[in-house]
Amino acid sequence: MKILVFIKHVADTEARILISSDKKTLEIENKYTMSFFDEFAVEEALRIKEKLKEGQVVVCTFGNKKAIEALRTAVAMGADSAFLIDNTDMENDDPMVNAKVLSGFAKREGFDLILCGRQAIDDENACLGPMIAEFLDIPHVSTITKLEIIEIKKILVESEIEGGTALTEVQLPALLTVQKGLNEPRVPLITGVMKAMKTAVPVVDPSEFGIIKNELNNESRTYVLSYEPPSGRPPVKIVEGEAADIKVKNLIELLRNEARAI
Amino acid sequence: MAKDIYVFVECKDGTIRKASLELLSKARELTEKTFSNVYAVAVGFGMNEIAEDLKFFADKVIIVDNQDLKDYRWDTYRGVLEYIIKKYNPFMVFGVATATGKDLFPRLAARLNTAIIADAIGIEYEGEEIKVRKPFFGGKILSWMAFRHGIAPVITFRPNSFAIEKRQTGGEIVEETVEIKKDPRLTTLKLNKGSNHKVDLQEADFIICGGRGMKGSEHFRILEEIAYIMNGRVGASRAVVDSKWREYDDQVGKSGKTVAPKVYIGCGISGALHHTMGMDTSKTIVAINKDPNAPIFQYADYGIVDDLFAILPALKEELKKTKEEN
Repeated sequence: MKILVFIKHVADTEARILISSDKKTLEIENKYTMSFFDEFAVEEALRIKEKLKEGQVVVCTFGNKKAIEALRTAVAMGADSAFLIDNTDMENDDPMVNAKVLSGFAKREGFDLILCGRQAIDDENACLGPMIAEFLDIPHVSTITKLEIIEIKKILVESEIEGGTALTEVQLPALLTVQKGLNEPRVPLITGVMKAMKTAVPVVDPSEFGIIKNELNNESRTYVLSYEPPSGRPPVKIVEGEAADIKVKNLIELLRNEARAI
Repeated sequence: MAKDIYVFVECKDGTIRKASLELLSKARELTEKTFSNVYAVAVGFGMNEIAEDLKFFADKVIIVDNQDLKDYRWDTYRGVLEYIIKKYNPFMVFGVATATGKDLFPRLAARLNTAIIADAIGIEYEGEEIKVRKPFFGGKILSWMAFRHGIAPVITFRPNSFAIEKRQTGGEIVEETVEIKKDPRLTTLKLNKGSNHKVDLQEADFIICGGRGMKGSEHFRILEEIAYIMNGRVGASRAVVDSKWREYDDQVGKSGKTVAPKVYIGCGISGALHHTMGMDTSKTIVAINKDPNAPIFQYADYGIVDDLFAILPALKEELKKTKEEN
Protein backbone atom coordinates (compact mmCIF):
# COMPACT_ATOMS: atom_id res chain seq x y z
CA MET A 1 0.00 0.00 0.00
CA LYS A 2 1.30 3.42 -0.91
CA ILE A 3 0.46 6.12 1.60
CA LEU A 4 1.03 9.82 1.04
CA VAL A 5 1.17 12.09 4.05
CA PHE A 6 0.83 15.82 3.53
CA ILE A 7 2.31 17.87 6.33
CA LYS A 8 2.85 21.55 7.07
CA HIS A 9 5.78 23.31 8.68
CA VAL A 10 4.36 25.97 10.98
CA ALA A 11 5.52 28.57 13.45
CA ASP A 12 5.76 27.11 16.93
CA THR A 13 3.22 28.31 19.50
CA GLU A 14 6.01 30.12 21.35
CA ALA A 15 7.50 31.86 18.29
CA ARG A 16 7.43 35.65 18.36
CA ILE A 17 5.62 37.16 15.39
CA LEU A 18 6.15 40.74 14.28
CA ILE A 19 4.07 42.68 11.80
CA SER A 20 5.96 44.75 9.21
CA SER A 21 5.44 48.53 9.24
CA ASP A 22 3.30 48.41 6.09
CA LYS A 23 1.15 45.73 7.83
CA LYS A 24 1.44 43.49 4.77
CA THR A 25 3.90 40.86 5.92
CA LEU A 26 4.83 38.94 9.03
CA GLU A 27 8.25 38.36 10.45
CA ILE A 28 8.28 35.07 12.31
CA GLU A 29 10.95 34.05 14.78
CA ASN A 30 12.91 31.05 13.56
CA LYS A 31 11.06 28.49 15.68
CA TYR A 32 9.19 26.06 13.51
CA THR A 33 7.70 22.64 13.93
CA MET A 34 5.55 20.07 12.16
CA SER A 35 1.92 21.10 12.59
CA PHE A 36 0.45 19.34 15.61
CA PHE A 37 -2.18 17.16 13.92
CA ASP A 38 0.17 16.11 11.10
CA GLU A 39 2.22 14.04 13.54
CA PHE A 40 -0.77 11.76 14.04
CA ALA A 41 -1.02 11.37 10.25
CA VAL A 42 2.64 10.35 9.91
CA GLU A 43 2.30 7.94 12.84
CA GLU A 44 -0.82 6.29 11.41
CA ALA A 45 0.81 5.81 8.02
CA LEU A 46 3.76 4.07 9.69
CA ARG A 47 1.45 1.86 11.76
CA ILE A 48 -0.47 0.76 8.66
CA LYS A 49 2.76 -0.15 6.91
CA GLU A 50 4.03 -2.04 9.97
CA LYS A 51 0.77 -3.92 10.31
CA LEU A 52 0.54 -4.90 6.64
CA LYS A 53 4.30 -5.66 6.58
CA GLU A 54 4.48 -3.98 3.19
CA GLY A 55 3.97 -0.56 1.75
CA GLN A 56 5.56 2.80 1.31
CA VAL A 57 5.13 6.02 3.28
CA VAL A 58 5.85 9.20 1.33
CA VAL A 59 5.68 12.59 3.05
CA CYS A 60 5.37 15.83 1.17
CA THR A 61 4.89 19.50 1.90
CA PHE A 62 4.34 22.60 -0.15
CA GLY A 63 6.54 25.11 1.59
CA ASN A 64 9.81 26.97 1.65
CA LYS A 65 13.29 25.47 2.13
CA LYS A 66 12.97 25.60 5.91
CA ALA A 67 10.15 23.06 5.69
CA ILE A 68 12.76 20.37 4.96
CA GLU A 69 13.15 20.22 8.76
CA ALA A 70 9.59 18.99 9.21
CA LEU A 71 10.08 16.46 6.41
CA ARG A 72 13.22 15.18 8.11
CA THR A 73 11.28 14.73 11.34
CA ALA A 74 8.85 12.50 9.44
CA VAL A 75 11.74 10.52 7.93
CA ALA A 76 13.27 10.19 11.40
CA MET A 77 9.96 8.74 12.59
CA GLY A 78 10.22 6.17 9.79
CA ALA A 79 8.83 7.57 6.53
CA ASP A 80 10.46 6.05 3.43
CA SER A 81 10.88 9.22 1.42
CA ALA A 82 10.15 12.93 1.51
CA PHE A 83 9.56 15.63 -1.08
CA LEU A 84 9.52 19.39 -0.81
CA ILE A 85 7.48 21.29 -3.35
CA ASP A 86 9.13 24.67 -3.24
CA ASN A 87 6.75 27.61 -2.80
CA THR A 88 9.42 30.33 -3.05
CA ASP A 89 8.02 33.30 -5.04
CA MET A 90 4.52 32.15 -4.38
CA GLU A 91 2.54 35.10 -3.24
CA ASN A 92 0.48 33.68 -0.44
CA ASP A 93 -1.03 30.79 1.31
CA ASP A 94 -4.33 30.37 -0.51
CA PRO A 95 -5.92 26.98 0.20
CA MET A 96 -7.05 26.66 -3.43
CA VAL A 97 -3.46 26.98 -4.70
CA ASN A 98 -2.05 24.61 -2.09
CA ALA A 99 -4.70 21.99 -2.81
CA LYS A 100 -4.09 22.18 -6.57
CA VAL A 101 -0.35 21.76 -6.14
CA LEU A 102 -0.59 18.87 -3.70
CA SER A 103 -3.22 17.06 -5.75
CA GLY A 104 -0.95 17.47 -8.78
CA PHE A 105 1.84 15.82 -6.80
CA ALA A 106 -0.49 13.01 -5.68
CA LYS A 107 -1.53 12.32 -9.27
CA ARG A 108 2.08 12.05 -10.40
CA GLU A 109 3.18 9.99 -7.42
CA GLY A 110 0.23 7.58 -7.30
CA PHE A 111 -1.26 6.42 -3.98
CA ASP A 112 -3.77 4.18 -2.24
CA LEU A 113 -4.32 6.43 0.75
CA ILE A 114 -3.65 10.06 1.65
CA LEU A 115 -3.44 11.20 5.26
CA CYS A 116 -3.16 14.72 6.66
CA GLY A 117 -3.82 16.56 9.91
CA ARG A 118 -7.35 17.82 10.45
CA GLN A 119 -6.15 21.42 10.28
CA ALA A 120 -2.93 23.40 10.42
CA ILE A 121 -2.42 25.16 13.72
CA ASP A 122 -1.36 28.46 12.14
CA ASP A 123 -4.38 29.28 9.96
CA GLU A 124 -6.87 26.69 11.30
CA ASN A 125 -8.38 26.58 7.81
CA ALA A 126 -9.08 22.83 7.77
CA CYS A 127 -9.50 23.22 3.99
CA LEU A 128 -6.69 21.28 2.39
CA GLY A 129 -7.83 17.68 2.95
CA PRO A 130 -11.37 17.90 1.54
CA MET A 131 -10.15 20.14 -1.31
CA ILE A 132 -7.42 17.73 -2.39
CA ALA A 133 -9.95 14.88 -2.27
CA GLU A 134 -12.28 16.88 -4.51
CA PHE A 135 -9.53 17.63 -7.04
CA LEU A 136 -8.56 13.95 -7.08
CA ASP A 137 -12.20 12.83 -7.19
CA ILE A 138 -11.76 10.44 -4.27
CA PRO A 139 -13.85 10.07 -1.10
CA HIS A 140 -12.67 11.67 2.14
CA VAL A 141 -13.48 11.38 5.82
CA SER A 142 -12.59 14.20 8.23
CA THR A 143 -11.28 14.00 11.80
CA ILE A 144 -10.82 10.25 12.07
CA THR A 145 -10.11 8.69 15.47
CA LYS A 146 -9.83 5.00 14.47
CA LEU A 147 -8.70 3.22 11.33
CA GLU A 148 -8.81 -0.44 10.40
CA ILE A 149 -7.82 -2.06 7.11
CA ILE A 150 -10.44 -4.68 6.32
CA GLU A 151 -9.30 -5.77 2.90
CA ILE A 152 -6.83 -4.54 0.35
CA LYS A 153 -9.03 -1.79 -1.05
CA LYS A 154 -11.38 -1.24 1.85
CA ILE A 155 -10.99 0.44 5.22
CA LEU A 156 -13.16 1.11 8.22
CA VAL A 157 -12.87 4.46 10.00
CA GLU A 158 -14.40 6.02 13.04
CA SER A 159 -14.62 9.78 12.86
CA GLU A 160 -15.87 12.72 14.86
CA ILE A 161 -19.02 14.31 13.55
CA GLU A 162 -21.16 17.12 15.00
CA GLY A 163 -21.86 16.01 18.56
CA GLY A 164 -20.88 12.37 18.09
CA THR A 165 -19.07 9.78 16.01
CA ALA A 166 -19.60 7.95 12.74
CA LEU A 167 -18.42 4.56 11.55
CA THR A 168 -17.80 4.52 7.82
CA GLU A 169 -16.57 1.98 5.31
CA VAL A 170 -14.42 3.63 2.69
CA GLN A 171 -13.20 2.29 -0.61
CA LEU A 172 -9.62 3.16 -1.48
CA PRO A 173 -8.10 5.30 -2.84
CA ALA A 174 -9.29 7.83 -0.27
CA LEU A 175 -8.15 10.78 1.81
CA LEU A 176 -8.48 10.99 5.58
CA THR A 177 -7.86 13.90 7.92
CA VAL A 178 -6.78 12.82 11.36
CA GLN A 179 -7.80 13.94 14.82
CA LYS A 180 -5.86 13.79 18.08
CA GLY A 181 -6.56 10.48 19.81
CA LEU A 182 -6.03 8.36 16.69
CA ASN A 183 -2.66 7.22 18.05
CA GLU A 184 0.34 8.33 20.08
CA PRO A 185 2.98 9.68 17.69
CA ARG A 186 6.36 8.08 18.31
CA VAL A 187 9.45 9.99 19.26
CA PRO A 188 12.13 9.35 16.63
CA LEU A 189 14.95 7.05 17.70
CA ILE A 190 18.51 8.26 17.36
CA THR A 191 19.06 5.81 14.47
CA GLY A 192 16.07 7.35 12.74
CA VAL A 193 17.44 10.83 13.25
CA MET A 194 20.80 9.73 11.81
CA LYS A 195 19.05 8.24 8.79
CA ALA A 196 16.99 11.40 8.33
CA MET A 197 20.13 13.57 8.35
CA LYS A 198 21.53 11.51 5.49
CA THR A 199 18.32 11.28 3.50
CA ALA A 200 18.23 13.55 0.49
CA VAL A 201 15.01 15.53 0.30
CA PRO A 202 14.32 16.21 -3.37
CA VAL A 203 12.98 19.67 -4.16
CA VAL A 204 10.24 19.41 -6.72
CA ASP A 205 9.03 22.21 -8.92
CA PRO A 206 5.27 22.23 -9.54
CA SER A 207 6.03 22.43 -13.27
CA GLU A 208 7.12 18.76 -13.05
CA PHE A 209 3.46 17.85 -12.81
CA GLY A 210 2.25 20.48 -15.19
CA ILE A 211 1.58 23.37 -12.82
CA ILE A 212 3.25 26.63 -13.78
CA LYS A 213 4.15 28.81 -10.81
CA ASN A 214 3.30 32.12 -12.45
CA GLU A 215 -0.08 30.84 -13.44
CA LEU A 216 -0.59 29.58 -9.92
CA ASN A 217 -0.34 33.11 -8.62
CA ASN A 218 -3.36 33.92 -10.75
CA GLU A 219 -5.13 30.96 -9.22
CA SER A 220 -4.83 32.53 -5.80
CA ARG A 221 -8.33 33.67 -4.89
CA THR A 222 -7.71 35.59 -1.70
CA TYR A 223 -5.15 37.99 -0.33
CA VAL A 224 -4.31 39.73 2.90
CA LEU A 225 -5.13 43.44 3.05
CA SER A 226 -3.45 43.96 6.39
CA TYR A 227 -2.24 42.28 9.54
CA GLU A 228 -2.65 43.77 12.96
CA PRO A 229 -2.16 42.76 16.57
CA PRO A 230 -5.32 42.02 18.52
CA SER A 231 -6.48 44.99 20.55
CA GLY A 232 -5.24 44.00 23.97
CA ARG A 233 -7.56 43.80 26.90
CA PRO A 234 -7.31 46.46 29.56
CA PRO A 235 -5.38 45.22 32.60
CA VAL A 236 -7.22 42.68 34.70
CA LYS A 237 -9.43 43.95 37.51
CA ILE A 238 -8.75 41.85 40.57
CA VAL A 239 -12.01 41.59 42.46
CA GLU A 240 -11.46 42.13 46.17
CA GLY A 241 -13.53 41.26 49.24
CA GLU A 242 -13.06 40.18 52.84
CA ALA A 243 -14.24 36.65 52.15
CA ALA A 244 -14.85 34.35 49.22
CA ASP A 245 -18.59 35.02 49.05
CA ILE A 246 -18.08 38.80 49.04
CA LYS A 247 -15.59 38.48 46.18
CA VAL A 248 -18.12 36.46 44.24
CA LYS A 249 -20.90 38.99 44.93
CA ASN A 250 -18.65 41.78 43.68
CA LEU A 251 -17.72 39.77 40.59
CA ILE A 252 -21.36 39.11 39.70
CA GLU A 253 -22.08 42.82 40.15
CA LEU A 254 -19.29 43.67 37.67
CA LEU A 255 -20.37 40.99 35.18
CA ARG A 256 -23.95 42.26 35.27
CA ASN A 257 -23.53 45.99 35.33
CA GLU A 258 -20.10 46.74 33.91
CA ALA A 259 -19.42 43.99 31.37
CA ARG A 260 -23.15 43.34 30.81
CA ALA A 261 -22.14 39.77 30.20
CA ILE A 262 -24.81 37.92 32.21
CA MET B 1 -26.14 43.68 -9.60
CA ALA B 2 -27.86 42.13 -6.66
CA LYS B 3 -25.49 41.19 -3.89
CA ASP B 4 -27.56 38.44 -2.37
CA ILE B 5 -26.02 36.44 0.45
CA TYR B 6 -26.88 32.77 0.88
CA VAL B 7 -26.50 31.26 4.32
CA PHE B 8 -26.29 27.50 4.68
CA VAL B 9 -28.33 26.74 7.80
CA GLU B 10 -27.31 23.95 10.13
CA CYS B 11 -29.90 22.25 12.31
CA LYS B 12 -29.50 20.12 15.39
CA ASP B 13 -32.20 18.03 17.04
CA GLY B 14 -34.84 19.70 14.88
CA THR B 15 -33.87 23.26 15.75
CA ILE B 16 -31.81 25.84 13.92
CA ARG B 17 -28.31 26.18 15.30
CA LYS B 18 -27.64 29.48 16.98
CA ALA B 19 -24.52 30.04 14.90
CA SER B 20 -26.61 29.91 11.70
CA LEU B 21 -28.96 32.56 13.06
CA GLU B 22 -25.92 34.72 13.78
CA LEU B 23 -24.86 34.47 10.14
CA LEU B 24 -28.36 35.28 8.89
CA SER B 25 -28.41 38.36 11.14
CA LYS B 26 -25.03 39.57 9.90
CA ALA B 27 -26.00 38.85 6.29
CA ARG B 28 -29.05 41.03 6.75
CA GLU B 29 -26.95 43.94 7.96
CA LEU B 30 -24.67 43.58 4.92
CA THR B 31 -27.45 43.18 2.35
CA GLU B 32 -29.34 46.21 3.66
CA LYS B 33 -26.43 48.34 2.47
CA THR B 34 -26.69 46.96 -1.07
CA PHE B 35 -30.50 46.61 -1.27
CA SER B 36 -30.09 42.89 -1.71
CA ASN B 37 -31.62 39.80 -0.17
CA VAL B 38 -30.65 37.20 2.40
CA TYR B 39 -31.41 33.60 1.44
CA ALA B 40 -31.48 30.90 4.10
CA VAL B 41 -30.71 27.49 2.62
CA ALA B 42 -31.85 24.61 4.81
CA VAL B 43 -31.23 21.02 3.81
CA GLY B 44 -32.55 17.95 5.61
CA PHE B 45 -35.65 15.89 6.24
CA GLY B 46 -38.92 17.09 7.81
CA MET B 47 -38.09 20.78 7.44
CA ASN B 48 -41.51 22.47 7.77
CA GLU B 49 -41.06 23.90 11.24
CA ILE B 50 -37.51 24.95 10.52
CA ALA B 51 -38.69 26.74 7.39
CA GLU B 52 -41.35 28.64 9.36
CA ASP B 53 -38.80 29.71 11.97
CA LEU B 54 -36.31 30.76 9.31
CA LYS B 55 -38.81 33.13 7.70
CA PHE B 56 -38.06 35.62 10.45
CA PHE B 57 -34.37 35.63 9.66
CA ALA B 58 -34.27 35.76 5.85
CA ASP B 59 -35.96 37.34 2.83
CA LYS B 60 -36.18 33.96 1.17
CA VAL B 61 -35.94 30.49 2.64
CA ILE B 62 -34.87 27.72 0.28
CA ILE B 63 -35.80 24.31 1.62
CA VAL B 64 -34.55 21.01 0.26
CA ASP B 65 -36.50 18.33 2.10
CA ASN B 66 -35.64 14.72 1.34
CA GLN B 67 -35.39 11.53 3.34
CA ASP B 68 -31.91 10.92 1.93
CA LEU B 69 -30.75 14.21 3.48
CA LYS B 70 -31.74 13.27 7.02
CA ASP B 71 -28.13 12.78 8.08
CA TYR B 72 -25.34 15.00 6.83
CA ARG B 73 -22.91 13.54 4.30
CA TRP B 74 -20.56 15.71 2.25
CA ASP B 75 -21.47 13.95 -0.99
CA THR B 76 -25.24 14.49 -0.80
CA TYR B 77 -25.07 17.97 0.73
CA ARG B 78 -22.40 19.07 -1.72
CA GLY B 79 -24.63 18.00 -4.59
CA VAL B 80 -27.56 19.98 -3.23
CA LEU B 81 -25.56 23.15 -2.59
CA GLU B 82 -23.85 22.92 -5.95
CA TYR B 83 -27.27 22.77 -7.59
CA ILE B 84 -28.60 25.74 -5.58
CA ILE B 85 -25.52 27.89 -6.17
CA LYS B 86 -25.49 27.19 -9.90
CA LYS B 87 -29.19 27.88 -10.18
CA TYR B 88 -29.36 31.07 -8.08
CA ASN B 89 -25.89 32.50 -8.61
CA PRO B 90 -25.34 34.09 -5.17
CA PHE B 91 -22.95 36.96 -4.50
CA MET B 92 -21.55 35.20 -1.42
CA VAL B 93 -22.15 31.99 0.51
CA PHE B 94 -21.86 31.84 4.32
CA GLY B 95 -21.50 28.78 6.49
CA VAL B 96 -20.49 28.00 10.05
CA ALA B 97 -17.01 26.63 10.75
CA THR B 98 -18.33 23.64 12.69
CA ALA B 99 -17.36 20.01 12.15
CA THR B 100 -19.94 19.88 9.35
CA GLY B 101 -18.93 23.22 7.83
CA LYS B 102 -15.25 22.31 7.87
CA ASP B 103 -16.02 19.04 6.12
CA LEU B 104 -18.39 20.43 3.51
CA PHE B 105 -17.34 23.90 2.40
CA PRO B 106 -13.73 23.30 1.30
CA ARG B 107 -14.91 20.40 -0.86
CA LEU B 108 -17.75 22.53 -2.26
CA ALA B 109 -15.40 25.46 -2.98
CA ALA B 110 -13.00 23.15 -4.81
CA ARG B 111 -15.89 21.67 -6.77
CA LEU B 112 -17.03 25.14 -7.84
CA ASN B 113 -13.45 26.30 -8.27
CA THR B 114 -14.29 29.37 -6.22
CA ALA B 115 -12.59 31.29 -3.42
CA ILE B 116 -12.84 30.31 0.23
CA ILE B 117 -11.92 32.02 3.48
CA ALA B 118 -12.33 29.64 6.40
CA ASP B 119 -12.72 30.20 10.13
CA ALA B 120 -13.38 33.95 9.90
CA ILE B 121 -14.71 36.09 12.75
CA GLY B 122 -15.96 39.20 10.97
CA ILE B 123 -16.94 40.78 7.65
CA GLU B 124 -17.53 44.35 6.51
CA TYR B 125 -18.03 46.39 3.40
CA GLU B 126 -15.29 48.90 2.70
CA GLY B 127 -16.87 50.95 -0.05
CA GLU B 128 -17.85 48.39 -2.66
CA GLU B 129 -15.35 45.81 -1.48
CA ILE B 130 -15.84 43.05 1.02
CA LYS B 131 -13.21 42.51 3.66
CA VAL B 132 -13.07 39.53 5.98
CA ARG B 133 -11.63 39.38 9.49
CA LYS B 134 -9.59 36.24 10.12
CA PRO B 135 -7.30 35.39 13.02
CA PHE B 136 -3.99 33.58 12.57
CA PHE B 137 -1.64 31.86 15.02
CA GLY B 138 -4.32 31.24 17.59
CA GLY B 139 -5.38 34.89 17.68
CA LYS B 140 -1.87 36.31 18.09
CA ILE B 141 -2.37 38.04 14.73
CA LEU B 142 -5.56 39.38 13.17
CA SER B 143 -5.97 40.05 9.50
CA TRP B 144 -8.32 41.66 7.03
CA MET B 145 -8.54 39.54 3.91
CA ALA B 146 -10.14 40.16 0.55
CA PHE B 147 -11.18 38.17 -2.50
CA ARG B 148 -9.26 38.51 -5.71
CA HIS B 149 -11.77 36.74 -7.87
CA GLY B 150 -14.04 33.76 -7.82
CA ILE B 151 -17.72 33.31 -8.35
CA ALA B 152 -19.83 33.15 -5.21
CA PRO B 153 -16.96 33.03 -2.71
CA VAL B 154 -17.54 30.88 0.35
CA ILE B 155 -16.83 32.13 3.87
CA THR B 156 -17.07 30.04 7.03
CA PHE B 157 -17.34 31.83 10.37
CA ARG B 158 -16.70 30.72 13.91
CA PRO B 159 -19.75 30.42 16.15
CA ASN B 160 -20.32 33.42 18.44
CA SER B 161 -19.00 35.90 15.86
CA PHE B 162 -22.20 38.00 15.50
CA ALA B 163 -25.31 39.03 17.43
CA ILE B 164 -28.69 37.51 16.58
CA GLU B 165 -31.53 39.75 15.46
CA LYS B 166 -35.00 38.54 14.59
CA ARG B 167 -37.09 40.40 12.01
CA GLN B 168 -40.60 41.76 12.35
CA THR B 169 -41.89 40.34 9.09
CA GLY B 170 -41.47 36.92 7.58
CA GLY B 171 -39.82 36.06 4.27
CA GLU B 172 -40.97 33.71 1.58
CA ILE B 173 -40.41 29.94 1.50
CA VAL B 174 -39.28 28.28 -1.71
CA GLU B 175 -39.06 24.52 -1.93
CA GLU B 176 -36.50 23.02 -4.28
CA THR B 177 -36.33 19.41 -5.41
CA VAL B 178 -32.85 18.14 -6.09
CA GLU B 179 -31.80 14.68 -7.17
CA ILE B 180 -29.74 13.12 -4.38
CA LYS B 181 -26.64 11.19 -5.39
CA LYS B 182 -24.68 9.19 -2.85
CA ASP B 183 -21.03 8.39 -3.43
CA PRO B 184 -20.95 4.55 -3.59
CA ARG B 185 -17.39 4.54 -2.25
CA LEU B 186 -18.58 5.63 1.21
CA THR B 187 -20.94 3.54 3.35
CA THR B 188 -22.10 4.89 6.69
CA LEU B 189 -22.36 1.88 9.00
CA LYS B 190 -23.25 3.58 12.25
CA LEU B 191 -24.01 7.08 13.49
CA ASN B 192 -23.67 7.81 17.16
CA LYS B 193 -25.01 11.31 17.58
CA GLY B 194 -24.50 11.46 21.30
CA SER B 195 -27.49 11.38 23.60
CA ASN B 196 -26.26 13.88 26.15
CA HIS B 197 -27.77 16.93 24.40
CA LYS B 198 -24.86 18.96 25.65
CA VAL B 199 -24.48 22.44 24.24
CA ASP B 200 -21.77 22.42 21.56
CA LEU B 201 -18.56 23.74 23.13
CA GLN B 202 -17.84 26.16 20.28
CA GLU B 203 -21.39 27.41 20.25
CA ALA B 204 -21.81 27.88 24.01
CA ASP B 205 -22.42 31.41 25.32
CA PHE B 206 -21.00 30.48 28.68
CA ILE B 207 -18.01 28.25 29.30
CA ILE B 208 -16.56 27.37 32.67
CA CYS B 209 -13.23 25.73 32.21
CA GLY B 210 -11.27 23.66 34.69
CA GLY B 211 -7.52 23.22 34.89
CA ARG B 212 -5.10 21.27 37.01
CA GLY B 213 -6.11 23.34 40.01
CA MET B 214 -9.40 21.41 40.06
CA LYS B 215 -7.35 18.59 41.60
CA GLY B 216 -9.38 15.66 40.24
CA SER B 217 -12.26 14.62 38.02
CA GLU B 218 -14.72 14.45 40.94
CA HIS B 219 -14.47 18.21 41.48
CA PHE B 220 -15.78 18.94 37.99
CA ARG B 221 -19.27 18.21 39.25
CA ILE B 222 -19.70 21.73 40.55
CA LEU B 223 -18.54 23.13 37.20
CA GLU B 224 -21.20 20.95 35.55
CA GLU B 225 -23.79 22.39 37.92
CA ILE B 226 -22.75 25.95 37.16
CA ALA B 227 -22.74 25.25 33.41
CA TYR B 228 -26.24 23.77 33.73
CA ILE B 229 -27.56 26.86 35.52
CA MET B 230 -26.08 29.09 32.80
CA ASN B 231 -27.11 26.79 29.93
CA GLY B 232 -23.44 26.61 29.03
CA ARG B 233 -20.68 24.05 28.83
CA VAL B 234 -17.76 22.80 30.85
CA GLY B 235 -14.38 23.06 29.17
CA ALA B 236 -11.02 21.67 30.20
CA SER B 237 -7.34 22.41 29.77
CA ARG B 238 -5.00 19.98 28.03
CA ALA B 239 -3.47 18.86 31.35
CA VAL B 240 -6.93 17.86 32.56
CA VAL B 241 -7.72 15.90 29.40
CA ASP B 242 -4.30 14.23 29.43
CA SER B 243 -4.97 13.16 33.02
CA LYS B 244 -8.26 11.64 31.79
CA TRP B 245 -10.32 13.76 34.17
CA ARG B 246 -12.36 14.94 31.17
CA GLU B 247 -13.01 13.85 27.59
CA TYR B 248 -11.05 15.29 24.67
CA ASP B 249 -14.32 16.76 23.41
CA ASP B 250 -14.09 19.31 26.28
CA GLN B 251 -10.55 20.48 25.51
CA VAL B 252 -10.03 24.18 24.85
CA GLY B 253 -6.75 25.22 23.26
CA LYS B 254 -4.40 24.77 20.36
CA SER B 255 -4.85 21.02 20.12
CA GLY B 256 -8.49 21.17 21.19
CA LYS B 257 -11.21 23.64 20.29
CA THR B 258 -11.08 27.37 19.74
CA VAL B 259 -13.91 29.03 21.62
CA ALA B 260 -15.25 32.57 21.89
CA PRO B 261 -18.16 32.58 24.36
CA LYS B 262 -19.74 35.69 25.87
CA VAL B 263 -18.40 34.60 29.25
CA TYR B 264 -15.41 32.38 29.86
CA ILE B 265 -14.46 31.47 33.42
CA GLY B 266 -11.13 29.74 33.95
CA CYS B 267 -10.83 27.82 37.21
CA GLY B 268 -7.43 26.69 38.37
CA ILE B 269 -5.99 27.26 34.92
CA SER B 270 -2.50 28.70 34.80
CA GLY B 271 -2.91 30.13 31.30
CA ALA B 272 -0.30 28.39 29.17
CA LEU B 273 -0.14 29.76 25.60
CA HIS B 274 -1.51 26.46 24.42
CA HIS B 275 -4.72 27.18 26.29
CA THR B 276 -5.04 30.94 25.82
CA MET B 277 -4.72 30.52 22.03
CA GLY B 278 -8.04 28.70 22.18
CA MET B 279 -9.99 31.20 24.30
CA ASP B 280 -8.53 34.69 24.10
CA THR B 281 -11.19 35.99 21.72
CA SER B 282 -13.91 35.36 24.35
CA LYS B 283 -15.92 38.50 25.09
CA THR B 284 -15.50 38.57 28.88
CA ILE B 285 -12.86 36.49 30.60
CA VAL B 286 -12.84 35.70 34.30
CA ALA B 287 -9.92 33.93 35.95
CA ILE B 288 -10.04 32.27 39.34
CA ASN B 289 -6.68 31.12 40.64
CA LYS B 290 -4.95 31.18 44.00
CA ASP B 291 -1.64 32.16 42.39
CA PRO B 292 -1.71 35.94 41.74
CA ASN B 293 1.13 35.52 39.22
CA ALA B 294 -0.64 32.96 37.04
CA PRO B 295 -0.34 34.08 33.38
CA ILE B 296 -4.11 33.64 32.90
CA PHE B 297 -4.61 36.99 34.65
CA GLN B 298 -2.89 38.71 31.70
CA TYR B 299 -5.74 37.54 29.48
CA ALA B 300 -8.59 38.15 31.90
CA ASP B 301 -10.97 41.07 32.37
CA TYR B 302 -11.75 40.08 35.94
CA GLY B 303 -9.77 38.00 38.35
CA ILE B 304 -10.28 36.45 41.76
CA VAL B 305 -7.22 35.39 43.69
CA ASP B 306 -8.46 32.82 46.14
CA ASP B 307 -9.04 29.15 46.81
CA LEU B 308 -11.25 27.67 44.08
CA PHE B 309 -13.10 25.42 46.44
CA ALA B 310 -14.19 28.39 48.53
CA ILE B 311 -15.21 30.42 45.47
CA LEU B 312 -17.07 27.88 43.37
CA PRO B 313 -19.98 27.08 45.76
CA ALA B 314 -20.58 30.83 46.25
CA LEU B 315 -20.37 31.39 42.50
CA LYS B 316 -22.94 28.69 41.90
CA GLU B 317 -25.38 30.24 44.38
CA GLU B 318 -24.94 33.77 43.05
CA LEU B 319 -25.39 32.71 39.41
CA LYS B 320 -28.49 30.76 40.38
CA LYS B 321 -29.93 33.86 42.04
CA THR B 322 -29.10 35.99 39.01
CA LYS B 323 -30.85 33.52 36.72
CA GLU B 324 -33.92 33.38 38.93
CA GLU B 325 -34.15 37.17 39.04
CA ASN B 326 -34.07 37.40 35.25
